[in-house]
Amino acid sequence: MEEMQSQQASGGIVVALAGNPNSGKTTLFNELTGSRQHVGNWPGVTVEKKEGRMFFAGQPIQIVDLPGTYSLGAYSEDEAVARNYIVFDKPDVVVNIIDAVNIERNLYLTVQLLEMGANVVIALNMIDEAQARQVEVRAEKLSTLLGIPVVPTVATKNHGVKELIEQVVAAAKCKKNEALRINYGREMEAVLEAVISEIKRGNALNERFDPRWLAVNLLTGDLKLIEGLVNNDTLNRLLLKQREYAKNLEQAYGDDVETIVAEKRYGFISGLAKEVVVKRQSVADRLTMSDRIDKIVTNRYLGIPIFLLLMWAMFQFTFTLGDPMIEWIETLFEWLGEAGGSLLESAGASELMKSFFVDGLIGGIGSVLVFMPNILLLFFAISLLEDSGYMARAAYVMDRFMHSLGLHGKSFIPMLMGFGCNVPAIMATRTLENKQDRLITILINPLMSCSARLPVYVLFVGAFFSAYEGLVIFSLYMLGIVMAIFIGMLFKRFLFKGETSHFVMELPPYRIPTLKSTFIHMWERSSSFIRKAGTIIFAVVVVIWVLSNLPAGVETASSESYLGQIGSLVAPVFAPAGFGSWEASAALVFGILAKEVVVGTLGIIYGVEEAGLTKIIAAQWTPLAAYAFMVMTLLYIPCVATIGAIKRETNSWGWTAFAVGYSLILGWLMAVIVYQVGSLLGLG
Amino acid sequence: MTEVAGITASMQDYLETILELTDGQDGVRITDIAAKLNIAKASVNQAIAKLKEQGLVRQNSYGPVILTDIGREQAAKVRQRHHKLRKFLIEVLGVNPKVAEKDACLMEHVVSPETMARLTEYLIEHGKIESNGDVKCSQQEAGCGNANINYRKEGCALKSVQTKALNELQVGAKGIIIRVVAQGAVRRRMLEMGVTPGTEVTVKGVAPFGDPMEFVIKGYNLSLRKAEAADVFVEELL
Repeated sequence: MEEMQSQQASGGIVVALAGNPNSGKTTLFNELTGSRQHVGNWPGVTVEKKEGRMFFAGQPIQIVDLPGTYSLGAYSEDEAVARNYIVFDKPDVVVNIIDAVNIERNLYLTVQLLEMGANVVIALNMIDEAQARQVEVRAEKLSTLLGIPVVPTVATKNHGVKELIEQVVAAAKCKKNEALRINYGREMEAVLEAVISEIKRGNALNERFDPRWLAVNLLTGDLKLIEGLVNNDTLNRLLLKQREYAKNLEQAYGDDVETIVAEKRYGFISGLAKEVVVKRQSVADRLTMSDRIDKIVTNRYLGIPIFLLLMWAMFQFTFTLGDPMIEWIETLFEWLGEAGGSLLESAGASELMKSFFVDGLIGGIGSVLVFMPNILLLFFAISLLEDSGYMARAAYVMDRFMHSLGLHGKSFIPMLMGFGCNVPAIMATRTLENKQDRLITILINPLMSCSARLPVYVLFVGAFFSAYEGLVIFSLYMLGIVMAIFIGMLFKRFLFKGETSHFVMELPPYRIPTLKSTFIHMWERSSSFIRKAGTIIFAVVVVIWVLSNLPAGVETASSESYLGQIGSLVAPVFAPAGFGSWEASAALVFGILAKEVVVGTLGIIYGVEEAGLTKIIAAQWTPLAAYAFMVMTLLYIPCVATIGAIKRETNSWGWTAFAVGYSLILGWLMAVIVYQVGSLLGLG
Repeated sequence: MTEVAGITASMQDYLETILELTDGQDGVRITDIAAKLNIAKASVNQAIAKLKEQGLVRQNSYGPVILTDIGREQAAKVRQRHHKLRKFLIEVLGVNPKVAEKDACLMEHVVSPETMARLTEYLIEHGKIESNGDVKCSQQEAGCGNANINYRKEGCALKSVQTKALNELQVGAKGIIIRVVAQGAVRRRMLEMGVTPGTEVTVKGVAPFGDPMEFVIKGYNLSLRKAEAADVFVEELL
C-alpha cells in the first residue's frame, strides 16, 4: 500500500541516494539529474535537501540526495534526516554509493541500510581509482553475498551510470522484503529475541518497521529514533527494560552494547571484504600519490606555509581577478542608466518617474550583480579546495590553533567563507557536528569582513587614505579577525563552559576535481546568495529611494525626508564616535538591511555618483571619523540576510537577538574607542 | 558471586590496580595508577570519574583515590578469579606461566560465575587451594608467601599485553586496538568510523602544531586529537 502511494504521489519511481561523504555521491547526483535539480531544506530542520528528476525509457524518476553520512546512528541532524527519510518516507529504491578504494568503512552504512530492510542497489564507485591502486573489487561476488544488485561505476566519467539506472528500475519492480541479519552473539541474540517478541505483540510498531532493526536500536539506546516514534505502551515498556538488558549484556561481554554492535557489524564486513577485495601483495605498502602529497602538505615545517600560501592565492584569485569584472558591470549599469534615462525623457516621463527607474530599479539590480564576480570566484576557489580534498587538511593543520581559541578545525572553513559572504558561511557551519562549536562559529561569523563591506571601505579609503589603501583595508580585516577570536574565547569561557567537541575526521584521498562538479558547486552557492541576498538588497534600494523621496514634496534625501528624520533621531548616539551627523546615521540604519547599502544611501543622500561621493566625503568628514565609521560598519549588526541565516541555522530567536545585540554594542564600543583614543593622540 | 552490574573489563582492571597499589596505604594517587598501567593521566582521570559514579571509589578533588567497601570487594573478587585461573592453567593444564598470566588477565573478566564455581570446586578437590577458597602457595610462585600480596609484578590490565594509549605510539608504529574508553558522542563516532577492538591502526603523522594526529585504519586516513587518541588502547605491534 505504502509503496503504491509513494509512486503515485510523484508519478514515478522515488530513489534516494545514500553514501559516505567523499564517496562521489554529489557527482553521481549531478550526472543523473543534470540541471533538473533544486535545492531546498528538509522540513523542520536546517539540513539541505537536494531533489532532481530524470527520465528513463520515458519513465520519470525522482531522485532525492540524502545528506552524506558515515552512519545512520542519527547522532547528527544529517544522519537523522537520512534515516528518517528511509524509515518513514520509504523510497522505492535506495542507491548506496560506495567508494571502492575504501570499502570496509563504506560498507558500514550499507549494513545499516540492509538491516533496516531498505531496497538497496549498490553503486560501487571509483572503481578506476581502485584499479590504479592495484585493488580489485569483485562486484558479482559482493552482489551474491549481500543478495542485492551491485553496479561498478566511475561517476566522474559517467561510466556505469546507465547500467545503474537499469538496475534501479528493475529493483523498483521487485521489492526485497528480507532485512539483513547480523549475528550479534548468543547472549545478545537471546535478548534481541525477547525484545522482538515484545515488539511483535504490540503490533502497531511491527507494521511499520523491521522488528529486529527496531530491537537493535532500542538496545543501543538510540533515543533520537525513539523520540520520532509514536508514543505507545509496548515502546514504553521496552524502554523501561532497556537499561536492564544493556547492563546484563555489558556484563556478559565486558563491553557496552554500542561497542558490541559496531564490532559485530565490522566483523561481518571484514568477512565480506576478505571474499570481495583482492589486493596485489607487492603494492601493499607502496606509498600512494595521495600519501606523497600529504607528506608535503601536512609536513611539520611546510604545512603552515603551504596553508597560508593557498589562502593568499585564493584571495588574489578572488579579488585581483574579480575587480576588473566589477568595473565592467559598473560601466554596463551606468550605460544602462543613461540610456534608460534618455529613453524615458524622450517618452515624456516625469523627473520623479525617471529617478525611480534609473536610481531605484536599475541601480538596485546593479548593486546586486556587482557582487557576482567576487562571489563566484571565491566559491569557485573554495569548491576547488573542497573537491580536491585539501579542505580537510586545512582543518587538520589548523585544528590545534582553532582549538586553542575554543573553536574546531572545521570552524576555519566557515570563517574563511565569511570573507566572501556571511550567509553561505553560516550555512557552511553545518559540517560542525558539535552544537556548541557550531553556535560559536555562527555567532562570531559576522565579524569576518564580508565582501559587501568592501565597497564601504573603498569609498572612505578613496576619500582619505588613498596612499595607504591596502594597509588600511588590511587593518580592518585584521580587526574583524581579532574581534572574532576575542569574542569567541569570551563566549566559550562564559557561555559554554566545560563543553567538549571532538575531531574524529576522515582525511579523504586527494582527487583532481572535475570542472563540472566544481562549477555546479560554485553555482549552487552563488545562486543561493543571489536569491537570499539579492532580493533583499534590491528591495532595500527601492525602499530607500521611496523613503528619501517621501513625504511628498520634499527635496530628495534631504533632512526633511523620512530618511533624514530617521537619521536625525539616531545621530546623537554616534556623536562620541565622531560621526554624529544624520547622514551617517541614516546610512548605518539602512546598512543593517545590507552593508554595502551604506554607500548607496550616502550616494542618494548627498545626491551624487560614486566619484562625486568621494569628494563630498573628503570635504565633510575627518579621516579619524571615517576610520571609526568603517570600524562601525565592520562590526555592528549583521545584515538582514545574515540575521535570517542565523535564525535559520540556530533555530532560535533568542540566539539571533543575541547576535544582533552583542555586535551592535561591540561596534559602537570599538568605534568610540578608535575615535576617542585617536583624538587623544592628536589624529583628529 | 554477586557482581555490581555494568563494570566493564577495563574498570575491573582499574579496580584491581588500585587495590594492589592501595596495600597498606590510605589511598592511591592518579599519577601512580597511570605509571603502573603505563597510560595517560587524562585517561585514568576519566576512568576514575566513572568508578566514582558507580560508587566504587571515593576521591576528594584531586586527592588520593580510595576504594569504597563495594569497590574493595569487587576488586578482591577479580583478583581471586585471576589467581585461581592462573593456578588452574599452570598447575592443572601445564601452561607456560607467562602465557598463563596473560590468559588469566583476559579470562578473569569474561568467565561466567558458574564456570568459576566449578573451577573453584575442582581446585579444592585436588588440593590446589584451601577448602575455604583461599589460594595456597606453591613452589612455582616465588614471593607468594604472604596471602595475596604481590602475587604478580605487573598490573594485569593494560600493561601485561604491551598496551599503550594510541597517542603514545610513534609515527610509523602499528598497533591492534584493544579497547575504546571514550564516552558519549565521541565514542559512538569512533566506533562507527571503524575504531573497534581488533582493528589494526598505523600512525601516519602529526599535524604541524603537534595536534591532531593522523592514522590509517581500515584502509583510510582518520584524524584524532591526542586527547581522543588517549582513550583508545592498543597493543603495539613490534
